[in-house]
Amino acid sequence: MSTNRKFVVSMTLLFILWIITAFISIFSGTYSIGPLEAISNLDELSRTIFFQIRIPRVLMATIAGGTLALAGAALQALFRNSLASPFTLGISGGASLGALLAIRSGLAVGVLGFSMVSISAFVFSILTMLFVYTISKVGGVVATGRLLLAGVVANFLYASIVMFIQFFSTFTESLQTMRWIMGSLDVVGFDTVWKTLIFVIPGCAILLSLTKDMNLFGLGDDVASSLGVNVRRMEKKIYFATSLAAGAVISVTGPIGFVGLIIPHILRMLLGVDNRIILPSSFLLGATFLTAADTLSRTIISPVEIPVGIITASIGGVFFLWLLIRTKKEIII
Amino acid sequence: MEAIINCTDIGFSYNGTSVLNGINLSIQPGNMLGILGANGAGKSTLLKILCGVLKPKSGKALFNDQELSKMDRREIAKGIAYIPQDPMFAFPFTVREVVLMGRAPYIGRFEFEREEDNEIAKNALKTVGISHLKDRLINEVSSGERQLASIARGLVQEPGIMILDEPATYLDVKHRTEVMNILRHLKENKGISIIAATHDIFSSLFYFDDIMILKDGNILAEGRTDQIINSEILSLAYGIEVVVKKENGRVFVFPNQ
Repeated sequence: MSTNRKFVVSMTLLFILWIITAFISIFSGTYSIGPLEAISNLDELSRTIFFQIRIPRVLMATIAGGTLALAGAALQALFRNSLASPFTLGISGGASLGALLAIRSGLAVGVLGFSMVSISAFVFSILTMLFVYTISKVGGVVATGRLLLAGVVANFLYASIVMFIQFFSTFTESLQTMRWIMGSLDVVGFDTVWKTLIFVIPGCAILLSLTKDMNLFGLGDDVASSLGVNVRRMEKKIYFATSLAAGAVISVTGPIGFVGLIIPHILRMLLGVDNRIILPSSFLLGATFLTAADTLSRTIISPVEIPVGIITASIGGVFFLWLLIRTKKEIII
Repeated sequence: MEAIINCTDIGFSYNGTSVLNGINLSIQPGNMLGILGANGAGKSTLLKILCGVLKPKSGKALFNDQELSKMDRREIAKGIAYIPQDPMFAFPFTVREVVLMGRAPYIGRFEFEREEDNEIAKNALKTVGISHLKDRLINEVSSGERQLASIARGLVQEPGIMILDEPATYLDVKHRTEVMNILRHLKENKGISIIAATHDIFSSLFYFDDIMILKDGNILAEGRTDQIINSEILSLAYGIEVVVKKENGRVFVFPNQ
């Protein structure tokens, strides 16, 4: 199949899959609202739940899952390593700390419509990425071991600071932080959705505009450059755009792990490694995956709602283990 | 005839250490130039300057009378193909996909390859003789086949000149001959100029029209191949005594130890 056709077919199928998942998700939950009710007459309570909670929440799951998976795929291209993701590189940890620091220092205010929490998360993401990139690059090539260790180091470092802050927090504050770190899509109304989108749309657009260059980058710096790519500028754009988009998402949802790792992996197994297909399809499948995980988190032991981060991390953990076992036999793709 | 590449007084240094000094080089269309020299003589650096990947610290490198460092990268890519010594393949693209990447300078940011591009890639695969490998993953074929795929990738750029860094060093004698024959074929039938760095003195004799020998970043000797390949020059270039013997029209090169 030509690349062009493969793109159209896979994107169409994934889009349909997302529509179905989102549809199911909107009508699932402790409080029962049927599709027929929704288009006819909803009472006040149902209307609030449907329009102020269910729909924003599905949108948030879509944005968060899509962005994290897309960012994961972009980072894998940048680090030329398929174990890179916002989570494994410590970027999620950095963004969480940045967001937490902003919240605790009373910066949880908007400046010209931009959330300071998101901006702080962005700054910490980009710093972490530079740290990990510098540490893991040996003689111009990213070493897998160093990459993962640098991510672990960053995560530990941030965790220690978060614990330090936790230690001096009140019980309520501490519990709030705990919940947030577990990863949750608990948003009310569209305000948060819009505020996240301000960062996510330009971030994702930049990454999607670089997919062709990312392919060439996989042939090495010199070949990419000889084929017309400004390699240094491309790297900077990826840093900036992933930090912007993933930072904004994580500042709202907390560090939802493994989406950025699993989704591009599965898609590469199914569709090959062309980033022009992998990046956009990662967005769609990531969106679908997180929407489904969130639906599960709301219904599995209803009326209790488990943080969605627990679901993604448990699926992701098993997946990661499977990858490790599989890679005993072959090189990690 | 106009030179396709013309360099004057090229100098380069890495972190203050001088790597190239006062290099002058020009190559005519449809010519094949071999660059010899010991490891660290500056061959790879020179090649990267010639294809616009590195900017010279001094001097000028011209491609069709335009200064490379001032040209648009994509425009350069339509005229010059670069094939490195040990190409990286970070992701398991298929051989066909790798070859198609050579069409990148002709394709817009949000475009996919057109039918025409697929056709060009198909022909390139055929020219280098690896059509049967098109759907195999690049990291699952042999290093010789990978090298051929890289050459095909360079070919679809439709370049006027191909610059190769030790295209045959890691290959066995069969693949080495195959690669060199293909390069000669490209020169003779498509008029593509070739510049290649090599350690293979022996095959240099058969394939290159001209030879340039670098030593410590300077040109030690340059000229027609049969005039350059002699004991005196090679001994100087490599720092050990090299014997060049001509017998019944055949040439033998070996270290005298």
